[in-house]
Amino acid sequence: MTEHQSQEKTPVNPSLSEIQLDALRELANIASGTAATALSQMLAREVEINVPRALALPPADAVDECGDPEQHVAGVVVPIQGDIDGLVLLLIPYEQAEILCSLLGVEAHTEVGDSALREIGNILATSYLNGLGSMTGLELEPSPPHLHSDMLAAIVSTLLIGTAGPDDLALVLDSELDVSGDPCSISFLLLPTSGQISDLLAPLGLAEPSA
Amino acid sequence: MGEMVISSDPNEELVALGLGSCIGLAIVDRTAGVAGLAPIVLPESNDRGDQVGKFADTAVPELIEKMRRAGAVVRRFETAIAGGARMFEMSGGLDIGSRNETAVRAALAKARITVKAAQTGGDTGRTVKIAVGDLLVTVRSAGQPPETLLEGRKPRATAGAGAAR
Repeated sequence: MTEHQSQEKTPVNPSLSEIQLDALRELANIASGTAATALSQMLAREVEINVPRALALPPADAVDECGDPEQHVAGVVVPIQGDIDGLVLLLIPYEQAEILCSLLGVEAHTEVGDSALREIGNILATSYLNGLGSMTGLELEPSPPHLHSDMLAAIVSTLLIGTAGPDDLALVLDSELDVSGDPCSISFLLLPTSGQISDLLAPLGLAEPSA
Repeated sequence: MGEMVISSDPNEELVALGLGSCIGLAIVDRTAGVAGLAPIVLPESNDRGDQVGKFADTAVPELIEKMRRAGAVVRRFETAIAGGARMFEMSGGLDIGSRNETAVRAALAKARITVKAAQTGGDTGRTVKIAVGDLLVTVRSAGQPPETLLEGRKPRATAGAGAAR
């Protein structure tokens, strides 16, 4: 019960150096900027992004970092095809999904509303992956999106169990997109399958764990 | 996710939040007033020595042993399981949720423990809670009210707190 490993709020990232994490944050920053532009065009609203986080943690700790475990969220999952395996995950608080749908002129929790959320996932993932691809030279394409509304921890833990490998390490690149003028924010997460982290870092010359 | 917890403190509540494909294994002994809750993540440890609580084949014996050390007796166990959902259709036939359930049931059967109540499978995440005071075990899905898995009942008055022997 008392074996909390992190002394501060910043979680420990046992296997990646600060330089590598900085590089991942910078990748996420530029890629989520591209995604924010796409969202802004789609909604005709300004969209703000926060400073992304890069976490490399055991899945249970990574889930805790993603928010209130019981929060009811709409999750859009977009599997990645191409040079790296992994997932893009959008988490939208359940009530805010309704705001998002109304900004698009569709009714939430209907077939059309669900389809609109999947489409947002598709467009954001595509632009994020394009941004990531242009910096790293990796070929990355989104697969068709899945939508599932549930408790945050149930969604995130189930996905991280799949992406964390035998080394039991989940990598999460986490950005927050805020639609201005409404209480509407989207958590945008990139969950590369374990072992793919070095593939993301190699094009930047940072694949080797540096001292 | 989270870790295996045991308690005989009547003021405590044991909680496993937002179980997706994980199984929440809840065991209570009403005479001893002991409760245990294990969130089990994967079916098999494949002989890894660490993270005993994470895998069905090692977590089930570990929970039983911890409860016995807290004064519980196996033949008095009441056991419930919840979770093991298949939340996304895309994981390519790899249904971890149902494999988790099968593995947990097998490990319980090996220890001659029967499952009294279960709410498993489907496509929804769940939260499992045990009120240690009356050993009420509940399960709740997102946006739903809690449902009872094991009825709450105070431990016998004479048993007192813990009844360690």
